[in-house]
Amino acid sequence: MADDEFRQQALQHLDALHNLAVYLTRNGSEAEDLVQETYVRAMRFSHRFQPGTHLRAWLFQILRNTFLTFYRLREREAAISEDGVPESEAPMFHDAPSQDSESAGAHMDLERALAKLTEEFRTPLLLAEVEGLALEDVARIMDCPVGTVKSRIFRAKERLRGYLTDYK
Amino acid sequence: MANERDEREDDGRIGRLLRERLPRHPAPAALRAAVVESLFPGPARQPWWMLWMPPAFSAVATALVMLLWIAPSLPSAPIIDSAQLVARAVLAEHARNVFWGESRADVVPAALPRAIEESGVGLNWVFTGDDDIRLVDAKPTYLEGRRGIELSYLDVAGHTVTYVIVPGGNVALPERGRVQIDRWRPVVRKENGFSLIMWRQQALLCVMASDLVSDEDLGRFKEYFVKVRSSTEPYVVY
Repeated sequence: MADDEFRQQALQHLDALHNLAVYLTRNGSEAEDLVQETYVRAMRFSHRFQPGTHLRAWLFQILRNTFLTFYRLREREAAISEDGVPESEAPMFHDAPSQDSESAGAHMDLERALAKLTEEFRTPLLLAEVEGLALEDVARIMDCPVGTVKSRIFRAKERLRGYLTDYK
Repeated sequence: MANERDEREDDGRIGRLLRERLPRHPAPAALRAAVVESLFPGPARQPWWMLWMPPAFSAVATALVMLLWIAPSLPSAPIIDSAQLVARAVLAEHARNVFWGESRADVVPAALPRAIEESGVGLNWVFTGDDDIRLVDAKPTYLEGRRGIELSYLDVAGHTVTYVIVPGGNVALPERGRVQIDRWRPVVRKENGFSLIMWRQQALLCVMASDLVSDEDLGRFKEYFVKVRSSTEPYVVY
């Protein structure tokens, strides 16, 4: 794949990468840093990308590995926001798309519920259900067997179901 | 069975909920611009110091040309060769002899062997004097890192002549200032109010210094040189 073509294609996945980065870091500026670092690494290791394979999945894999390397430590710490509320329970963004109050409340509940999941459950769920990746691609990104991915997605949904009692 | 179906339906519902209700966060414009910049960098900007390179080179070249142009007219420090250094040292020694030297003609026969022994310069023959000039002192000396012998003469008019012999095999005498005196061509100079006659004899450098500077006195000084040169045969002892 020509270098310029590779860059063009990589750029097309910017929004998807940023979206995942937001849900991984739960912090706007960190998400932007993570995405930039992902692109830097992708360009540095572009020779390792095999043409014909899923570029989107490859970029997600880099993003997740970068997140685990540089950002995961912070996530392990009990994250408490300034108002004393655990960050996982606080809304991630206050400038979420403006909709009616019921819908906005649903967003908030969904985000809060998702934030309660650990990364190993949250990421495969987002990749498979939101980004629409095949389980094989998710397994490659998560560096685990497809069966494990299925199991994690199942358990993630089960937990979400528990958190979102209103939607049962 | 019913429970399993319910769970599958729930799974589907959760998935749909995530796809439809979970807000997506597209990349902000600033991030997009930064990523585009990193993916498709424009032409590399020159570092600031590169902008100063052409004028700096130009200034240096101009300065160099001016220096080359002016350099010949600048006063330059004279190149002092080793003969010159020895000559100056002999002059200093001569000045000391003039002002504080002793006339010890009576002890010269005893002083000469000691001077020869300590100087490393032997004398097969030595001019001890005549009616016009006589040897009044002999002592070892040390000039410009060279051990040698120093003979002092006093003429009838009271002028002191200092004759220094030092090893000087590697000292080259200049052609400039050479004067034919009898059958020799020594270098004759006037420096700081004194007259100098320098010559090479075997591997030795010989210098005579005197305060005989006027034309008439210089003629006399040359006569003394002929007497000394023809009647003295120094050699290097070690």
